[in-house]
Amino acid sequence: MNFCSARPTRASRLGRGAMGAAALFAAVLAGTCIGETPIPVLTVLQTLANKIFGAAHVVDPIDVGIIWNYRLPRAIVAACCGAGLAVSGMVLQSLLRNALADPYLLGISAGASTGAVAVTVAGLGAGAVSMSLGAFIGAVTAFLMVALLARAAGGGVTLRGTGQIVLAGIAGSQLFNALTSFIITKSANAEQARGIMFWLLGNLSGARWPDVWLAVPVAIVGLGACIWYARALDAFSFGAESAASLGVPVRVVQVVLIGLTALVTAVMVSIVGSIGFVGLVIPHAARFLVGVRHGRLGPATALIGAVFLIAADVLSRTIVPGQVLPIGVITALVGAPAFALILVRGRRRS
Amino acid sequence: MILEARNLGWSVRGRAIVSNVDLAVREGETLGLVGPNGSGKSTLMRLLAGIVRSTSGEVRIRGQKLHGMPRRQAAQLIAFLEQQAETTEAISVRDAVELGRTPWLTPLQPWSDEDDRVVRQALADTDMEGFECRSWATLSGGERQRVHLARALAQQPQLLLLDEPTNHLDIQHQLSILKLVADLPITSVVALHDLNQALGCDRVGMMSAGQLVALGPPRDILTAERIAAVFGVRATIVVDPEDGTSIFRFHTA
Ligand SMILES: Nc1ncnc2c1ncn2[C@@H]1O[C@H](COP(=O)(O)OP(=O)(O)OP(=O)(O)O)[C@@H](O)[C@H]1O
Ligand SMILES: [Mg+2]
Repeated sequence: MNFCSARPTRASRLGRGAMGAAALFAAVLAGTCIGETPIPVLTVLQTLANKIFGAAHVVDPIDVGIIWNYRLPRAIVAACCGAGLAVSGMVLQSLLRNALADPYLLGISAGASTGAVAVTVAGLGAGAVSMSLGAFIGAVTAFLMVALLARAAGGGVTLRGTGQIVLAGIAGSQLFNALTSFIITKSANAEQARGIMFWLLGNLSGARWPDVWLAVPVAIVGLGACIWYARALDAFSFGAESAASLGVPVRVVQVVLIGLTALVTAVMVSIVGSIGFVGLVIPHAARFLVGVRHGRLGPATALIGAVFLIAADVLSRTIVPGQVLPIGVITALVGAPAFALILVRGRRRS
Repeated sequence: MILEARNLGWSVRGRAIVSNVDLAVREGETLGLVGPNGSGKSTLMRLLAGIVRSTSGEVRIRGQKLHGMPRRQAAQLIAFLEQQAETTEAISVRDAVELGRTPWLTPLQPWSDEDDRVVRQALADTDMEGFECRSWATLSGGERQRVHLARALAQQPQLLLLDEPTNHLDIQHQLSILKLVADLPITSVVALHDLNQALGCDRVGMMSAGQLVALGPPRDILTAERIAAVFGVRATIVVDPEDGTSIFRFHTA
């Protein structure tokens, strides 16, 4: 592919945007139709028309229940989590100039699992705190500790200290993972341990409308910030000093974007658990497809992440009849070979 | 006076890397900066570019304090070509040069035809036309250096800070880049290792152990005695029979 073709006109950009929106809509639709009991597209569309525009199509109330209460919110939450995690991963990879950076690098998933386990197993919060809230508090706590450690380790004396952030993240993750294991081995029974294991690998089955109202704005804010700072992110291509000499307020951009990705990731993890693979690999796949300029890369990453996670969720519900697999298993099982294919094809092309 | 440094210094962990530099760069001149490895040229340049904050003294650009000026505004005035800047991203030459327009763009003030024109001109000035679509990883060292320079030119600065711009360049491109820099109506500060090339600057500053030990017209600064003292080599003067210009020849001391 040639990324050097003429600059897209406003019309062609609008066209691409419309295509992206259509793809997203189609994915959500497919996620709603496909399942253990398949529901025809027409029924889904009619239900949507009834619910949103107050139309009066005659639809089986059981189908309506499945569509409106379970599958639709689930597909939307999946899309938001996929988009949010993928964009977070992309931003961290660009800012830290580390191809292996992912949203969990900053200790967030480790902290979230500690928080979740502290609430469900150790009984912290005495029932007043939900598992999601516990996970969110744990995630934010872990991130703040990592950020403080990185700062104390001199992650900012010169503009070169991004290595410190990565190392602090590793230290923080190890600490919180150990805490999680400690709590599980000390107090969890086999049943609880299995439940936690499942949650750690990601689980969308609890997604309802309140989760949608949380996930949608968070995903939009994450993507919006990434588009707003697209040129600043581009300027990091040759490192932070180079970005500074190009007029980017490096400190501000780093603090705002790292803080935002942490927040987006923490929210997503507290809703669905720590789904792996998406945040690491989707941004790379998107780079292969649309190039490295963030004005295009951000929206493409979000779209691919959203569609990918909807597809993974559908597979996790249908691949073994009568059983729902953890979605993290699917993202890695399907995603790894798909990514290998992209790598090989990308190599042939260049 | 476009740029002025007063008592400028930078130290790290108690060690002074640059100290007591007083320097006034004049409008339109090309100021050469010479000195042995580790003498503080790059550090001084980073201080002058405002991307590293000085630990003592101050830098003023057109009378305004550089520290405290928004980065964006500073980057519209000053472009800095680093001694080394690499990337593993698969960016194209055009992408890299377009980065130079960053200080002039905002999310609400997007890319325009004028930006396209500036980028094309920068590519032409550095003799990199036809490379637009090449990916960074496929470029040779000298081509990368020229793309970096094109990026700095695309910034349309009033002051160019070039840290060893002739690095990796073949002799023809060394000469053409230096000529380009000298002919541009822009003020520039250029770190150089080739003392004969430094003779072609309007003024030369010599760095030694973090201090600016001499500053003035090249022929006054680059004397055999000073070269011996700072670089530890013996320099003899040779006259080119073609035009009578004298140049240096160096011998180990
Ligand atoms: N962050 C730092 N921490 C410690 N020492 C540093 C740091 N940055 C630079 N130095 C030291 O300061 C001295 C000056 O470095 P600088 O890069 O400015 O030299 P230079 O004159 O550009 O050399 P060269 O000709 O090799 O490019 C060197 O001895 C270097 O090791
Ligand atoms: Mg240097």
